[in-house]
Amino acid sequence: MTSPNDIPAREITILLVEDDPPTLWRLQDALVKAGFDVAAAATLAEARTSLAARVPRVLLTDLQLPDGHGVELIRQTRARHPATEIMVISALGDEETVISAITVGATGYILKDAFPSDIAATVRDLVAGHSPISASIARFIVRRTQASVEPPPGPELNTAKLTPREIDILWGIAKGFSYAEIADHLGMSKQTVPGHIKSIYRKLEVHTRGEAVFEAVQQGLIKL
Amino acid sequence: MTDGAARPSAPRAPGLRARNTVTRLVQYVLLQAVIAVLCILVLRLPMPEPPAATQATSFSLADRGATRALALPAFVSSRSSMKEPAIFTGHFGWSTREEGRAWSVYLPRFTNGVAVEVNGVEILDSRRDPSANRPDRATPEIAIIPASLLRDGENALVIRLFVWVPISGFLDRVYVGPDEDLRPYYEQRTLWFVTLPTVFAAWQGILAVILIVMWAMRRGEAAYGALAAAMALGAIQAFLSSAIDQPAHPELNATLLASAPLESGFVLTFGILFFGRKWPRLLGPLIFVPGVILVLIGAFGDPFALRQFFLIIGLPALVVHLVLLALIVAWSEMRRSDVPSLLLGCAVTIVLTSLVHDVIEVAGLIPDDRVFFTRLSYSAMLVAIGAGLTWRFARALNRVDGFAAHLAIQLREAEEKLKASFAREQERERAAALARERTRLMRDLHDGLGGQLVSIVALSERNTESAGIGDAARAALKDLRLVIDSMDDIGGDLILALASWRDRAAALLRPHDIALDWRAVPPGLPVYPELRPWHVIQIIRILDEAVTNAVKHARARHIGVKIETAAGADGERGCITVTDDGKGFAVDGERQRASRGLANMKNRAARCGAELELSSGDGGTAVRLQLPRRFPEGDAAAG
Repeated sequence: MTSPNDIPAREITILLVEDDPPTLWRLQDALVKAGFDVAAAATLAEARTSLAARVPRVLLTDLQLPDGHGVELIRQTRARHPATEIMVISALGDEETVISAITVGATGYILKDAFPSDIAATVRDLVAGHSPISASIARFIVRRTQASVEPPPGPELNTAKLTPREIDILWGIAKGFSYAEIADHLGMSKQTVPGHIKSIYRKLEVHTRGEAVFEAVQQGLIKL
Repeated sequence: MTDGAARPSAPRAPGLRARNTVTRLVQYVLLQAVIAVLCILVLRLPMPEPPAATQATSFSLADRGATRALALPAFVSSRSSMKEPAIFTGHFGWSTREEGRAWSVYLPRFTNGVAVEVNGVEILDSRRDPSANRPDRATPEIAIIPASLLRDGENALVIRLFVWVPISGFLDRVYVGPDEDLRPYYEQRTLWFVTLPTVFAAWQGILAVILIVMWAMRRGEAAYGALAAAMALGAIQAFLSSAIDQPAHPELNATLLASAPLESGFVLTFGILFFGRKWPRLLGPLIFVPGVILVLIGAFGDPFALRQFFLIIGLPALVVHLVLLALIVAWSEMRRSDVPSLLLGCAVTIVLTSLVHDVIEVAGLIPDDRVFFTRLSYSAMLVAIGAGLTWRFARALNRVDGFAAHLAIQLREAEEKLKASFAREQERERAAALARERTRLMRDLHDGLGGQLVSIVALSERNTESAGIGDAARAALKDLRLVIDSMDDIGGDLILALASWRDRAAALLRPHDIALDWRAVPPGLPVYPELRPWHVIQIIRILDEAVTNAVKHARARHIGVKIETAAGADGERGCITVTDDGKGFAVDGERQRASRGLANMKNRAARCGAELELSSGDGGTAVRLQLPRRFPEGDAAAG
């Protein structure tokens, strides 16, 4: 993996898809000020046009768009441009949004109200192979690995591929331990923990197309 | 009341079991042998007899034209006509000194009927006494000699003995003497051979009624039906005896005679069914064939043929039935060794021994006093059956009681389980409802309020004058996330909620360049199953307040959060401590705003049953929140 400092920020191209103008402006401002090469789109159609013109290194997208759903954009991008890192932009960082995005190929999320420095850092980390995760997202995934009579509400999630070590890492995060503490406890290097998070996200991605799971995800979101 | 396969048996090694069975069989056979020997000894005990002086000794017998002198007891051959009695003629002495004392003639035993004459006047004819006519009952007779008949010196005594086939005639010793000397012996024999059989016949009748009722109530139990039939037959034949010579209903007489093999057949049927053997469909009816043949002969043939056939068919049938019954009972005793099997086994042995004894006696193989014990010994069987049935009944009642108690326990357990599972179900339902509500709320807030608050934050950032609005919007967003997060089902593990809070707090502190040192001391916090979202919100808000104070008023550079289970005055308690390295303040409330925040925190802690301690100084501030042992169900803010 390349270190975030290896690639100059201006060489990192970003496509930012957000329909709320103030939020778009805020995020774009934070990224541009950090030196990234940012293209912006407010609708699904604009995003597709932009994608056709130039394949970005990073795609940041909201889910609720005026002409469609961000999940479709993520899935298409993931299928056509596997090298592109994808993050979802979420107002609350709730598992509904984040897990839905992860199952179609996103490997991280950014809070819409995150401070500019955090936004830039998260993008740099992502390009370096480090995916962000919150305690509540980790908790949600871990809960899904536990046998339950009826699945809790929320998006579908297949956790069968996760290894016991990955589940241990998730538990550590859910309980509020730092990466260093988790690494220490599990006997691994502190630097490898963020990589494990990305690996976990990848394992939660649903690869089959035309999938019932995808339909379920969509339905779950469309039911709004 | 049938048990059997239901009886639990501990699994044992086959070899050991076989050896056990053999041991038990040997024990059982030995016991029966002892009973048989005792039985024979009792049967051979001589009956007490009156003083020898009262015995009338020398008799002359006139039988079928021939006359000879003899001493009693004596046998005469059986004959087909009632009209030719054997006539015994003898004498006894009486003196006038005896005047004033009644004298009697006492005949302990005779078959089949006697007429007694003293000095040419008939004083007794046993043929008028139906029970005396039965050869199976050793009915004694006594007759007081009218005083006017007695003469000083020799008195003539003539006894006419009536005999009918198939049994040969028998006349035991005859005693003539003072009534007071003879009567006790008569009474004793009457007790044994007349009263006791009557008592047992009554007992049999009662058993019959009980069994009929039982069978009527439980039609499935054919064993009781069979036994009821046997008992009814026995009782009827004991009480309905007609005179020999002129039976009012010859068919009835014949049926009664034939009833013994029928009765034994029913008893055998009972044994087969009661001890859990399968009723043999083909061979079973054969049990009743001898009895039915005898009834048919009695109903349509002549009485003498019937008596012959009784000896040929009836007696062997009785023996066969008893032997089969003995085998079945022995098998049952081997298999389950219970009280009814053992009792009935011993009773059958007694009856069989008596029957064999009687047959041998009739056949003339042993000294014969013509006292038959089979009927009498049959009473042993009746007692055994009564006792066995009562035992089974009592045990069945015990089982019902035990079963009822067991059922009650099971019912209670099931009820408790149901209650527990209902409570669990309710709990799960509640959790699921909460999760659904949270999901719905989250979607609503995410798309509505959440986005709008983000817009406000973004707009306010463009204009530095509206920084206050941006902060307020940010605070609202934070609160929104807190509310949503607290609704998540964390299963009472508070540290999961604290971890989410840590994420949010760290993100908020980062722009201020304040480090959040997080330290969870293993094993962390206890699990609080009663933890509810509103408890979580109160605790998180206390922590938020503490952090806000540290940032805004104390200008701290480091904030530490320590989560631990600490030993308190009353045992282990969960404890959360927030420390900062800010400038601190006087706890006694130097500034109104700080003291209001402090009061707020204390109030929140009190509502959760937690205790808040605050210490502040130049080195910084420490807020120590000691969690309750158990979170209160309702809001504890009573004031």
